[in-house]
Amino acid sequence: MDETALIQEAQHGSLDAFNSLVLAYQDTLYNTALRILNDEDLAADAVQEAFLSAFRALNSYRGGSFRAWLLRTVTNACYDELRRRKRRPTTPLEPETADGDEIESPGWLTDPNASPEESLDQAELEHAIQHCLENLPTDFRAVVVLADIQGLDYTEVSVAVKKPLGTVKSRLARARLRLRECLQGFRELLPAAFRLEEESSV
Amino acid sequence: MKSLTFRDMERLSAYLDGQLSPSEKTHLEKSIQSDQAFAIALEEIRQTRTLLRRMPKRRVPRNFTLTPRMAGIRPPVPRAVPVLSWASAMAMLLFIFTLGANLFGKLSFGASAPMMAAAPSGIGGGPMAATQAPALAAPATAAPAQLRSDQTAQGTPTPEVFTMLAPAVATPVTNPVTQPPATLKGQPRPLNPWLIFWPGLAIFLSSLALLIWGLNQFAFRRKNRRR
Repeated sequence: MDETALIQEAQHGSLDAFNSLVLAYQDTLYNTALRILNDEDLAADAVQEAFLSAFRALNSYRGGSFRAWLLRTVTNACYDELRRRKRRPTTPLEPETADGDEIESPGWLTDPNASPEESLDQAELEHAIQHCLENLPTDFRAVVVLADIQGLDYTEVSVAVKKPLGTVKSRLARARLRLRECLQGFRELLPAAFRLEEESSV
Repeated sequence: MKSLTFRDMERLSAYLDGQLSPSEKTHLEKSIQSDQAFAIALEEIRQTRTLLRRMPKRRVPRNFTLTPRMAGIRPPVPRAVPVLSWASAMAMLLFIFTLGANLFGKLSFGASAPMMAAAPSGIGGGPMAATQAPALAAPATAAPAQLRSDQTAQGTPTPEVFTMLAPAVATPVTNPVTQPPATLKGQPRPLNPWLIFWPGLAIFLSSLALLIWGLNQFAFRRKNRRR
C-alpha cells in the first residue's frame, strides 16, 4: 500500500496503517533524535513521544512531505528534552576519568562491517563530529542534522523546524561554518583526502 | 583574494545545495573562478557536508509501533451499552414514580383503595391472571362490584395498577373462567405482581446502572494508570 493511502487510513483511526508508517520512518526519526540529543535512551523516548503525538495530531497533516511533518514532531520532542535538561542539569552522558576528562566509549560506536582500526577511526571521527554538533546552538544543530545528515531539502527542513526558507539557509550556512572550525581541532581524525585538500588550501 | 563575508558564505552554502537562482548562481560561479578565497571556502563547506553525510546510521533499539493502549484506543463497547447507559435515568424516574404514586395514592386516592385491593385479588384468583395480559381485564370487570363492599380492604393502592386496569374497565370483557371469587373475606390476600414489578424493575435498573458505573470507573483507572 502506498504512503498516501496509509496516511488516509491512519487519519481514519487505523492504528495498523499508522504502525506501517512508524516502521517506515522510525530509523529516520531515531537517527535525527540521536544526533540532536546525543543519547540513545533519550532519543528513543523522544521518538516514541513523537510518534504518539503524531498519531494524535494526524488530522492536522494537510499534505506535503510526510517525512518532514514527522520530523517536526521529533524535533519538537528533542527541543522539549533539551529544555528539560537545561532546567535539570544531569551528569555528563560520557563517563569521566578522575581528572574529569571524558572517557570515549568506542563500544557504543562499533561497526561490525569495518576492520578494528577502521572501526576505531570511524568511531572517533563520529565522536568528534557529534562533539562539534553538540557545541552548536540547538536551532543550528537541528537544521544541520536534518539537511546534511538526513538529507532533507530546504523546503522539508523549513517544514520540520517551522521556520522560513531564508532562516533555514542562514542557519545551515552558519552551522556548517562552525562545524568546520570545530573539526579543525580533530584534523588527525579526518579522512586522508579531506586532510590533503585542507593542507593544500592553507 | 578578498576576505569573505557571512553573506558570501551563505551563498556558497546554498550554491552547494543547488538553492540559488540562475542569476545568483552565474554571478557566484564567476567569483569562484576568479577568486581563490571563494573556491577554498566552497571546498571547505563541501567537505564538512560530506563528513556529515557519512555519519553512520544507527539501528533503532526497538520498534516504536504504538499499541492500542498507548494510542488511547478503547476496545469496542457492546451495542447494548448506549441503551443501558440510560438505565440510571430510567431507574430514577421509576423510583420517583413509584414513591410519588404511593404517597399520592395514600393521600388523595384513599377512597379508591378498595378498587385497587380488589383488582389484585382478581388477578391472583384467576388461574392465568399473573402471566397473561387478557386475564387482567376479566377481574377488572368484577372489581367495580366490590368497590363498595370492600371499602376497608387492606393494601396500598398504586396508580400504576390503576393505570393498567383502567382500559380494562373501559372495555368490559367477561371471562367466566377467570371470574374471581365473590368475596375475599377470610382469605389470605394474594401478592399483587404489579406491586412487585415496578420496584423490582427499578432495583434491577439501578443495579445495572451501578454495574455500568463501576465498569466505567475501572476502565478510567486503567487508562489513567497507563499515563
